[in-house]
Amino acid sequence: MATLAPGVKTGPYHAVLDHIHPEPTSFIRKYIFSIDHKVIGYQYMITGGLFFLIAGLLAELIRTQLLSPNGAIVTAATYNQIYSMHGSAMIWMVIIPLVTGGFGNFVMPLQIGARDVAFPWLNLAAFWMFPVAGIILFASFLWGAPDAGWTEYPPVSLQGPPGTSMWCAAIFLIGISSTLTGINFIVTIYKMRAPGMTLTRMPLFVWGQFGTAGLSFIATTALAGALLALFLERTFGVPFYDPKHGGSPILWQHMFWFYSHPAVYIMILPVFGIISEVLPTFSRKPVFGYKMIAFSTVAIALLGFSVWAHHMFTSGMVPWLQLPFMIITMVIAVPTGIKIFSWMATLWGGSIHWTTPMLFATGFLITFTCGGLTGFFLAAVPLDYHEHGTYFVVAHLHYVLYGGSVMGLFAGIYYWWPKMTGRMYNEVLGYWHFWLTFIAFNGTFMPMHWLGLLGMPRRVALYDPQFQFWNVFATISSYVLAGSMLIFIYNFAMSFRTGKVAGPNPWGARTLEWMISSPPPYYNYKKIPAVLATPYDFGNPLPYIGLEAAAGAEEATPTAESHPVPTY
Amino acid sequence: MSVSIAKQGYSLGHGHHEDAHEQVIYEETRDMRLLGFVLFLCSDVVLFSAFIFAYIYLRTTVAPSWPPILDGHQLPRLDTAFATVNSVVLFGSGVTMHYALENFKHAKLRGFHGFMGATVVLGTLFLCGQGYEYAHAQIGGWSGNIFGASFFTLTGMHGFHVFAGVIYLLVLWYQASRGVYTQERYFGLTAGTLYWHFVDVIWVGLFFLFYLW
Repeated sequence: MATLAPGVKTGPYHAVLDHIHPEPTSFIRKYIFSIDHKVIGYQYMITGGLFFLIAGLLAELIRTQLLSPNGAIVTAATYNQIYSMHGSAMIWMVIIPLVTGGFGNFVMPLQIGARDVAFPWLNLAAFWMFPVAGIILFASFLWGAPDAGWTEYPPVSLQGPPGTSMWCAAIFLIGISSTLTGINFIVTIYKMRAPGMTLTRMPLFVWGQFGTAGLSFIATTALAGALLALFLERTFGVPFYDPKHGGSPILWQHMFWFYSHPAVYIMILPVFGIISEVLPTFSRKPVFGYKMIAFSTVAIALLGFSVWAHHMFTSGMVPWLQLPFMIITMVIAVPTGIKIFSWMATLWGGSIHWTTPMLFATGFLITFTCGGLTGFFLAAVPLDYHEHGTYFVVAHLHYVLYGGSVMGLFAGIYYWWPKMTGRMYNEVLGYWHFWLTFIAFNGTFMPMHWLGLLGMPRRVALYDPQFQFWNVFATISSYVLAGSMLIFIYNFAMSFRTGKVAGPNPWGARTLEWMISSPPPYYNYKKIPAVLATPYDFGNPLPYIGLEAAAGAEEATPTAESHPVPTY
Repeated sequence: MSVSIAKQGYSLGHGHHEDAHEQVIYEETRDMRLLGFVLFLCSDVVLFSAFIFAYIYLRTTVAPSWPPILDGHQLPRLDTAFATVNSVVLFGSGVTMHYALENFKHAKLRGFHGFMGATVVLGTLFLCGQGYEYAHAQIGGWSGNIFGASFFTLTGMHGFHVFAGVIYLLVLWYQASRGVYTQERYFGLTAGTLYWHFVDVIWVGLFFLFYLW
């Protein structure tokens, strides 16, 4: 135990935290194959952003096709490929890499006062699997992309075009990347926190990453198994899923959803963390119910493993199993509700600063809550019989993934942009981006609720003419949604040229990453600070010791070799 | 030594001597690697569990009878006697690996080399035994039916892990003979031992599921 003052315990001091790799000088080691967590974070964001644009264009193709009931933009077969690829890319190549690899890599080590993640080389390897997997996935269009939806249910996926096997390979690869990142983050968070940062003094974003890392390293290999079996069956005819040879298509659904339901929480827990950072900062109030928010993250992660079969109520499951799956699914609303109410209580009576990240965070509260409520509808077995496979499901999942994850990602990118680049963005353009996104998002996906309730099936290229009005409405809204992205891109491009210099802490935030210059230096902290309390006590002095000493004190210097101690 | 450490503004619990400091860094790095390695093995267990679930699901809820009937013929059960002998070979290699590590810890290098060699030989012997079993199993081949599919995929995955493990142990053995590990710093050997025991434990499950059930 290192003692700061009589009676103040700061926890064990980790000598390994002080280890500094040499700063690379060559272009390739600095920008391409860097082991610096910040550079890897930028790389994830740039790659994920590019894939977001491609997958977004696929979405606009879907909407354009649906302008007319007999849409003739693409053939029905191509349409199947487009929506399958849109879903697969958005989930595996955009949201999961961005929330874990992107924001997790950039922000989490800074927030725990570390110099890097636990295994920087593993981090490098995990990142480079990502663009390779993305290229394999998108290249499948050349041989005929997968066409059975992002869920690729057999037996349709067994008869799918050759690209379906490439889809298996790509998702398998990004799954390994996700598993390795999960392991890396758990060890980092568990072993590399600054002295004094106990688990219940961690920033809530770190809690979100902790929950997600646990989910990714446990659940992702289950999907790897399912994908491997699908690949073997498609390539060598090994019967697992084909009923013709004694297999069972339901087996795939079990294995697939055992991963893909936790994947929903992989995509949302880090975003919950972003919201938990943004709301107290711009309310200038301690976050309400810190421990409840932290522990509900763990509760969601644990419960998330036991609800997968609610995706399969109409698949011919044993009837007596439906009830427990329905109830446990509904129970997840409790920890989620704890978060929502804690955030609302954080806003209550706060001195609210309406910056762009704050707008996105409050917008998130509204849209995500809507998505959560429709999830409650879908969890109810009798309602699910009616809604399954309709546009109601499409509306629900876009409210939680776009209104939830993507809105939260926007909040995060506006919030940490000054930290990442050292420059401010244009706040007025930020407002335009938010309001256009918020209105156009609801315009696009709100009508899908009643389209689904009226019986419009998802994943079909043609539809009944009675649904045309709301489809046209949704399509026009989706064009506005895409247009709002141009404002976002323009804003950040201009920020590099004309943005005001941000300084270390433009928001007056209190987590550790705001205590150092923007962008952070290669080694993050000249001195590893000691932490005395949670970061959210606005009005109290900052709970860090050792940061002030940094200016005059002897500075940390890198070692000549990357590993001064043989650590075999 | 070119280690340059930021001096903290408060006293450290450890000595300031550089060797002692090096040892602390080694131990903390080792603990991190150990945690990371155990987590990796856990995620590997889930990969096996996915296929074990598939096998149990197909056998209990899909197949009308077990072993299944293929082209009007009842498939035979697997050869339990042979598999038992082969399992003993694999479990024996787990024991020798344990003693290899113990000998290394106590600087008994002759014993270490002997047990390491025995482990590699037993592991290879197990793989040969599995090859013999594959050649003689009358269950309709890999892609013929769900019995063959689950048996050959699961034991094949396990066999691949054993094969990778033999290569891994050979690398560790080579490194140890080059003097990479010392009696104070031998995490690589610990990790190799953990991996080898993990392969053993998976086999316990597979043996029960395919030969005794």
